[in-house]
Amino acid sequence: MTASTVTDLPPDSASPPAKPERIDGRHLRSERTKRLIIEAYMALVRESSPRVPTAAEIAERAGYSVRSIFERFPDLQALRLAATDQAIADARATNAPRDLPADRATRLRAQVEIRGRGCDQWLPMWRVLNSNSADSAELQERIRMTRSLILRRIELVFKPELSTLPDAERSRTVLAIEALTDFESWARMREFFGLSFDEACAAWVRAIDSLLPPTPAGAS
Amino acid sequence: MPAPSSPKTPRIDGRRLRSERTKQLIIEAFLALVREDPKLPTAVQIAERAGYSVRSIFERFPDLNALRVAATDYGLAQAAALAPARNVDGSRQTRIESQVETRAQTCERGIALWRVLLNSQDESDELKLRVRRARETTITRLELMYKPELSTLAEPERRDMLIALEALTDIESWARMRELHGLPYDEARAVWTYAIDRLLPPTPAAKP
Repeated sequence: MTASTVTDLPPDSASPPAKPERIDGRHLRSERTKRLIIEAYMALVRESSPRVPTAAEIAERAGYSVRSIFERFPDLQALRLAATDQAIADARATNAPRDLPADRATRLRAQVEIRGRGCDQWLPMWRVLNSNSADSAELQERIRMTRSLILRRIELVFKPELSTLPDAERSRTVLAIEALTDFESWARMREFFGLSFDEACAAWVRAIDSLLPPTPAGAS
Repeated sequence: MPAPSSPKTPRIDGRRLRSERTKQLIIEAFLALVREDPKLPTAVQIAERAGYSVRSIFERFPDLNALRVAATDYGLAQAAALAPARNVDGSRQTRIESQVETRAQTCERGIALWRVLLNSQDESDELKLRVRRARETTITRLELMYKPELSTLAEPERRDMLIALEALTDIESWARMRELHGLPYDEARAVWTYAIDRLLPPTPAAKP
């Protein structure tokens, strides 16, 4: 079998139009196996975070051999990185901002609910990411990227209110909202203070509403 | 016949004193290593830094977890001693600035140990308890410093206000401002001062 397949070709390759696309079954299977290994890793992390699952545990959960894992990932760090990238992509796809042109209360509620759900879903992965990042510049970069995405989301959702503030106060408000709505802040509300999802959302809504300046007239 | 020792002069047990001093030096070596590197130091590293043998460590601490617990108790006691509540009866602005200054100093000094504590707490119920106590101490301090403003709130608003203040002034929130956002000490303090002032309800008028 030749190494080059349709999926390997760059998008602008000039291939004869009439020729049917070749599907590389082996490549497809390998990608599916990779995906199943990543999903097994993520499921185990959700159950045992912040403990990192072993290769044997991941293999057993995925239904493959340990060798299969290391044929696709050079080491567990590479698997962790791939799972982190998958988690970031999933979170971006499912937690897209909504109700952006809405009034203040609707935007606030939507942002808090999306963030709360995201925290509930991704907290175990986030903890594993943080507890294993000391030795990995790549994982540290993912943490920075995630935090940067969170800041951009805050700036986008509360743009009308933030736009009324001078630079220094605007920056202070964004940092305060970021601190308030951090993963671990959510976790403390749920685990330490024993708040339900709705109670935790209400606490965030109230606090963010206090931090934000009045919504300018005419803004949604 | 030896003369009976006077009941007024307590006997000093030199061996015990030396052993306590050694324990203290081992704890300080552990804390120094943690400040330099967020990873848990090994017994060999701790022994080398303290200037003792590995055996000396395990003569005084049954295992590394016991040493971690002792170092945590020492670190938390030190943090409490260095951060007494000041200006409790001051104006709103004075109290906010005082609390922010004290908390910022605690965060600057304590972040390394706190991270080790958080990363290790799942291995030890004793460490978990220390984390809980440290959080409770922080909340008690917030209740003390912002008593006038909190007294105007009914439940659950009062509880939610404390949760928000605690989240805002969490040690990792401080660390992010300093490490990730690169804020100087005074600017990081300004963020907290500004945000706390916005979060708190109006201060009630003083009673005559």
